[in-house]
Formats: sequence, structure tokens, C-alpha cells
Amino acid sequence: MTVDAIIVGAGHNGLVTACYLAKAGFKVLVLERREIVGGGAITEEFHPGFHCSTLDHTTGPLNGQVISDLNLTQHGLEFITPEVRVLSFSTDHRPLCVYNDTSRTISEIEKFSSRDAARYPEFLTSFSRIGNVLAPVLSMTPPSINRPTANDAWQFGKIGLAFRGLGKKDEYRLLRWGPMAVADLAAEWFDTEVLRAIVASRGIAGASAGPWSAGTSLGLLFQAALDSNPIAPSIFPRGGMGGIAKALTTAAQAMDVEIRTGADVHHIEALDGNESKVYLGCGEELKARAVVSNADPKTTFVRLVDPIDLDPGFLLKMRNYRAQGTVAKMNLALERLPSFPGINDSEAQAKLAGRIQIGTEIDYLERAFDASKYGEFSSEPFLDITIPTLTDPTLAPDGKHVMSIQIQFAPYKLRNGDWKSRGQEFADTVINHLSRFAPGIKDSIIAGQVLTPLDLEETYGLSGGHIHHGEQSLDQFFTFRPLIGFAQYRTPLRRLYLCGAGTHPGGGITGLPGANAAREIAKDLKNGRR
Amino acid sequence: MNNKFDVVVIGGGHNGLVNAAYLARAGKKVLVLERRHVLGGAAVTEEVFPGFKFSVCSYVVSLLRPEIIRELDLPRHGLEILPLDGTFTPMPNGDYLWRVNDHGRTRREIARHSKLDAEAYDEYGRAMIEMAHFVKPIMSMTPPDPTTLSPRGWKNLAFLGRRFQKLPDDDKYNQVQLMTMSAVDFLDQWFETDVLKATMSASGIIGTFLGVRSPGTAYVLLHHYMGEIDGAFRSWGFARGGTGAISNAIADAAREAGVEIRTEAPIEKILLSNGRATGVVLKNGDEILANVVSSSVDPRLTFTKMIGEEHLPNDFCDDLKRYKYRGSSGKVNLALSGLPNFKAMPGEGPHLRGAISISPGVDYMERAYDDAKYGKFSRRPYIDMVIPSLTDPSVAPPGKHVMSCFVQYAPYNLKEGSWDDKREEFGNTVVDTIAEHAPNIKDLIIDRQVLTPLDLEREFGLSEGNIFQGELTLEQLFFLRPVPGWAQYKTPIKNLYMCGSATHPGGGIMGAPGRNAALAMLKEI
Repeated sequence: MTVDAIIVGAGHNGLVTACYLAKAGFKVLVLERREIVGGGAITEEFHPGFHCSTLDHTTGPLNGQVISDLNLTQHGLEFITPEVRVLSFSTDHRPLCVYNDTSRTISEIEKFSSRDAARYPEFLTSFSRIGNVLAPVLSMTPPSINRPTANDAWQFGKIGLAFRGLGKKDEYRLLRWGPMAVADLAAEWFDTEVLRAIVASRGIAGASAGPWSAGTSLGLLFQAALDSNPIAPSIFPRGGMGGIAKALTTAAQAMDVEIRTGADVHHIEALDGNESKVYLGCGEELKARAVVSNADPKTTFVRLVDPIDLDPGFLLKMRNYRAQGTVAKMNLALERLPSFPGINDSEAQAKLAGRIQIGTEIDYLERAFDASKYGEFSSEPFLDITIPTLTDPTLAPDGKHVMSIQIQFAPYKLRNGDWKSRGQEFADTVINHLSRFAPGIKDSIIAGQVLTPLDLEETYGLSGGHIHHGEQSLDQFFTFRPLIGFAQYRTPLRRLYLCGAGTHPGGGITGLPGANAAREIAKDLKNGRR
Repeated sequence: MNNKFDVVVIGGGHNGLVNAAYLARAGKKVLVLERRHVLGGAAVTEEVFPGFKFSVCSYVVSLLRPEIIRELDLPRHGLEILPLDGTFTPMPNGDYLWRVNDHGRTRREIARHSKLDAEAYDEYGRAMIEMAHFVKPIMSMTPPDPTTLSPRGWKNLAFLGRRFQKLPDDDKYNQVQLMTMSAVDFLDQWFETDVLKATMSASGIIGTFLGVRSPGTAYVLLHHYMGEIDGAFRSWGFARGGTGAISNAIADAAREAGVEIRTEAPIEKILLSNGRATGVVLKNGDEILANVVSSSVDPRLTFTKMIGEEHLPNDFCDDLKRYKYRGSSGKVNLALSGLPNFKAMPGEGPHLRGAISISPGVDYMERAYDDAKYGKFSRRPYIDMVIPSLTDPSVAPPGKHVMSCFVQYAPYNLKEGSWDDKREEFGNTVVDTIAEHAPNIKDLIIDRQVLTPLDLEREFGLSEGNIFQGELTLEQLFFLRPVPGWAQYKTPIKNLYMCGSATHPGGGIMGAPGRNAALAMLKEI
């Protein structure tokens, strides 16, 4: 039987694409290599009774249009949004809480600097104005600047018009901020180092870049476009990130999408002709009118497609596509809630519920990055921590907790030794460092799970262990993602499409790449052009 | 004497002089005022020690726009460029990389390190030339205002779009990468030899407070690749008589066109009347009236020192404060009794006639940057050295030599101590670094001049010691240079224009800002 589309990889974007295509009336088959669907948005039991969002631990947030289009709420998706966005600590271990509520945040910042407190509202409104203009851009197919069609010109015109609406001051802000180092941008607004670090942390999340690297401000603009606030949000699905995968699966199955797990795709053949083929590891051959890869671009073109089917120039560019991860993950099962400096027991429940960051100042973040440039993991890494059991106690046995830690920087390629031999040393480094902020945490650890960039590649199929399917830098952004001329979810192979984080608008649990890709694929399938 | 001028140009640097020359050739009555006793700004030759003449700041030339050489007929005014033959990079393991102007030889030399790289080198060269051709006309245009609503502004933006469209696909790809990537990331795609990448990436960081791995540095690579001497891209040279000879030639051309030039004429402030510039007041109290004032000094001096914030719109002042200078380089000028003897290639030879680059590896370059990020000068800096006395014996006594060392990184803001206390320590670090490769250098030094970023600021009026009058980073280029909305050489003060390196297309002895500004001004006055 030939289905309309085979989706390779049941990450959240793959599932979103599958749902949209099914909704448009196409017959869709989803193939997942692992036994569990969700890709980077999964919840797993890493120790008996302890469940954790194995990889990503908060949403991007997931796009509202996607949620309503696919009726995800009816399919069981529920979000928990703690009042705290980010809690971080200064070099002298004073806590600073950024809340969703502006006035509460202002009184927190007031403890550090009244000037910064006064600037905070303008900081938010400036970004939200620009973010509102950028938001529609995230949901569009990037127009080609390579060979623009009339429609591309129209799309550009639309962006241009929205841009005009900003007014001269914000127009120039947008142009200037995009290529800036986030350290500079943060310093233009605030004096308080820890606040600067909170702002800058969004710019370097998942990137092979420090706050002083040019172009890191892009992450803030992107975040502002996603939810009108440049500071990273704390929004958890109930049941962990797997809650998203679960809702998407239910939605997909309700629309007759077939999802097969344990289906390891070895090879994609998608040249000309009326159909394309997918070969599984077991030798099975599946046919479809279109194959949609949710795998990252490098995996797709370097591993799944026969190089002979590709133009050598394209293949060379794809090999040069930058996707060397710098993030590792650690999940801990804890006997009790850890204590942090300046947070007393009565307020811990509330203040520790969002992201907890260990990144005291800009220099701290930059130093953490420095090590990775020379192929070494940071001895004092930047940590982005969540304790999801505070808002969702079902994830662990009564009174116990789960702690999820994203660790940066841990370069994919180590200069000395390899990740297999140095995993334990790395874990010890992280725990020891964390103990300086959360004394006593060591004694409360029941069990732990460490995922190095190598594990991210081997177990989760992320090329180079890159959590965003490739660097989200100026050269791999928007109409350049993954490559100039191939940003419209189509590829040089007529029947092969991309729908993962390696396409516009990129990584994070947003569902947007999947939704955008589905729109283009549906167009082609309907026109019978492909 | 005191009759009114059409234009008074502040600063006798090369851009100020180019600006004046073009205005005078169009029939304007022009006066150039220079604070120091010599003309040229940072393009200056001075006899620092008796008998030893140094190109004190800028030391090589390649960016000077050919149309300026042609239109001002600079060779007739004494400009002579002597070619700089290649770049020699000694390595700590005793090996070296020596690229020369002979393509075949360079290719063989690179093949000694990597055959693949030798092949890639050809293709790289071709690609860069294509890119340079694409960017070249952009250098000579007044940046369009992307927020404009005027049809002429749109025409200019459309011109850029169409130009990009006409590029072959691969060049579009390269162009996007060049504008956005780091020098090393960009070069990584072409080459595998560490020392080659390090030496090439060095031109991406000159004058900016960025490392070779910082995005945005690939563009500066191109900026430096665009050097053009005698119509040949990518060739660098010395001016006979030092870099000051360039300024002198331009000054000569300017005078011939009727420009009056005064040195030792420091300016106190720019005269304003009803929000218009009407002339300048000198430090000695003299008032000079002019219809138009053209400033070739950087925005901080122009607006903060010579005008005052109270006369400027608030947004403009905020933008001025955001404009980043952040000098990151120093200069060490050595008077030598003989020639340095490099371990990697002993003896005197043609390798000393070109640039000698201390850039043995990408990590070396990056570590040099890491020091600077945290407010220290590099313990082991990147150094670009030339010995012009080998090519032009007139600059040193017989048998003696001058060596000019450009050093990065030397951050203007030190975390501990001040440059006045650290100057000699910095000088020693530079000499020690050179001595690791050429141990005899210490015995050869007769005298040395150490210029820290603070010295560049004090002596040459470069704010925070930035040699380009402001960093060449993406957010400070083209229509954002020097500040958003004021990239067209105009300023919020009527009849006041900018014509220095702080305007498009930026620093280096290029002359393009001066010329572009003059052409823009002539349309309006």
C-alpha cells in the first residue's frame, strides 16, 4: 500500500506534521526508531517510581495555533505555569526571581538596583512590540532570497509592511539587535550582573556560543516572538514533556494516522517518479508519495540518503552545516527538596518551581563557554534546572523529587579522552559544582541519569548531539535554515521534505517547524506536482 | 584671512584630506584644521628616534580606493607603493608557513602542509574575489536608509537586492556566510591546516574586540581581502617614505585644488547658531566661520566634546553612547641594529620583506582573545610585524632597521591597573613573544616605542584607542554606522557632516568615507 506521506521520526514536530496532513485528508504513516514517541519531548521512568522529562524540560512554549488546530487540550494536554520564570543567584549567592508578573519582578530587582528595576518594564514592552511583529514570521514559510517567486516577493512585502509598523526607532533596534552579542544587549539595559546573565542565558541556550559571541541576541528576539517576553519561560506540560507527545499521539490516532515504533529507517529513496521509498533496518520496504524527515538535516542527508542521489555541492554544504552540540543533561531522583541560598523553607515551594539557573554573571557564562572552545567541558558550567515534582507531584513517589538539569557547556568532541570514559568525571564535576549552590544535595541523591552529547546522538539520533538540530546562528537562520535555497521544507530530492528543528523557525518545543512543513507538503500533495 | 569658508574640515587625517580635496575640486573654498603638528592622523610617518622613521600607527596599505588614487592623481603627488611580499608565519615546532605573492609557490608551500588545502586555496581565492567584486560598489555608495519611505531610498535598497539576485547560487551561499559567520567557522569549511587558518583568520579580528571564533569576523576577512593595489586584489604594500607619505600625497593634491591646511590648530568647539553649524572655535579662541563643517574625527569627539549633548536629540545621544569603540590593539615600534633571526628560517632572506605573523594556531589566537575578554592584555598576543626598511632604506640609518609590530589584544579597559603603569610590561610581553621565534631580537633593540590603546587615544584622538574609529561589527556597519538613521554622512545638526572612519565603509587607509561624504555633501551644498 502506498500512503500519502511517511514521517521519519516521531518527534513532536513529526507528530505535528502528521496531524496536520491527516487533518487535510492525507493518509499518513509515522515511523519511530525508538520504542517511545516524542523525540526530545518525552517523559521516561529513569529510576523506579521517578519520571522525568528526559531531554527538554520546558516548552518553547508550544504554539497556541497548533494547540487549537489539533485540539490538543481535548486530547489531554494540560500546562502548568508556575509564577516564577527564572530564579538565579548572584556571585555572592543572593537570589533574584523573575516572575511572570512584572510588578513582583520589579520589587525583586529593586533589591539589586533601582535603576534596573525602573528600566525593566520598558525592556519588556520594547521586546514585546518587536516580538509581536516577528511572531507571524515564525509561522510563515521563509521566502526564498535565492530565487524569489512572485509569492516570495509578496511574503517579503508582508514582512516589510509589518516592519514599517514598528516605527523608525524600533525598526533600527531590530536591525541592530539581531547581530549583536547578547552581553552587549543586556548591558544596554541593566547594570546588575545576575540580571544580565538571566537575560543573556536565553541567547546562548543550546548554542555553541558565549554571551560575547555576536549574533546571540537573536535568541532573545526569537523568544520574544514566541511569547512576547525575551526571558526564558517556565511552562511544563502535566506529566512532563511526554505529555505533549501523548496528546499529539492521541490526536494523530483519532485522525487515523498510523504510528509504528521500533521502526528503524535505514535508507530513504526519494528521487523522481511517482513514489518514494523508505527501507527499514529489518529489510521491509515502505512506499509513499512523499517522505518527510523529522530527523535533523545532517542525519537526513548524510546518513539516510544515498550520497549519489545528491548534488556534491549540496552534500558539501550539508556536511558543513554546523551541528556540534554543547549541552548535556542530568536527571536526578532526590530524597527531598534541595535547599538553595537565600530561599527559606516556606517560600521554597513557590520560588523553586520555575527554572533555577546557575549562571551568576556574564563572565561566568563566557568562562563556561571558553572551555568548550578547546574541547573541554566547563568546570563551572551554566546550569538550567527544573524540579517538576514541585508542580506535578505524580512524577515521583510521595515526598520525593525529580531534578532535571541542562548543562552547558559540554562539547560533543572532547579533546582529551571521550565521553564514554569521562562520563563519570563529568557527572561528578556537575554535582560538586551544584553543591556549592545547593549544599547537601549530594546526600539526597537516590539515583541519577547522565546524558552526554554522545548519548544524545546515539540514543536520540541528534547529529552531533545538537539539541536544536543545528546551530541557530545568523548563518543558519530563517531563510538560511538549514541552507540558503532550501528553507521552504523542500529538499533537492523531489519527494523528500524536512519538518524538524533543522528548519525554520528552529529548535525548542514549539511545533512550528512541523506545522509550517505540513502546509507546504499539503500544497504539493494537493497540486499533484510531486 | 578671516573671510568665510565654504567648508571647514575637522582633522587632517587621510579621510579629512580626501574629503577636502574632493570638495575643493568641485570649486568649494575649503580649510582643513589639524590638531597635531603633522598631517595624516593615524596614517602618519614620524621620526620617533633620530634617523628612524616609523609609520607610527597604520603601517601597510591596500585598501586605498583606486578611484581616489586615480581621481586625485596621487602618484603625481608623490605616492609610490612598494609591494609587500607575502606573509611568513613561524611555528613553535620549527616549521613555518610562508605565503608569497607568487601563486604557484604559495600553492606548493600549502601543499607541504596539506594537499587538500592547496587545492581548496585556489577555489577559496576565486570565491573571495567574487565576493569582493560583489561588495566593491557597496563601498562607494552612501548607505540607503532601510526605514525610508522615499523612492530614491527604495531604489538603492532594490539595487542591493538585485545585485544579490544576480550572484550565482554558490556565491549567494558564500556571501551570506561571510556576512554572518566567524572567520574560523568560515575557513574551517575550506581548510584543515591549523596555522593556515590562524594566519588567515587574523585579518578578521584586526581592530575589533572579537576573537577568530566570534561570528561577524568573516566579514572583516573580506574587508581586508578587498585591498587593491594597481588593480590587483589582495596585495598589500608599503608607501615609500612610510604611511605618512600617503597623507602627504593627498594633502598635496588637496592644496593643488586650493585647500588651505593648518596644523597645530586644535578645535575647542563647533559653532552653532539656531541648530546649524556655522564654523568652529579654535583652542586659541579664533573663530572660523564656514557654511558647512565636515568632521573627520570620531563621533565621541565630534558630538560629545565639540558640540555637547544639550544641543542634540536625546535618542541620538543614547545611540552615541551605545556606539562601541573598545580599542583592542596596541603598537610597538622597534629601532633595530640588525635583522631578527627566526628559528624557523634562519638568516636574512626574502621572508623578512613581507609581513611576519605570530599566529601559530587557532587556539593561540583564541586564547589571546580570552585574556582580553577578562580585561588583561594577551599573555601571548597575535603580532603582525613588518620591516619596511628592507624595502625602503630611506626610513632607517644605513644598516639599521625599523620594525613595526601591530599587537592584539590590548583592551582599552584593563581590569586591574592602568595603561600608564602597564605600558612597559606590555612592551616586554611583545618582545618576549617575538623572542620565542627570533631569540636575537632582544640584543638588536636600540629603542622602542610602545603605543597602548590609551596612547592612541591621547596622541591620535582615537576614542578608546580604536583604530577604526569604532568597531567593525555587524551592528555598526553600513546603514547602522555610526548610529542608526545617521549613516548618510549627515548629522542631526544642520550643515554638519561626518567624513571619517566612523562612517560607511569604515576604517583602514581606504579614503572611501572621505570621498563618499564629499559626494553626498556636494549634492546638498
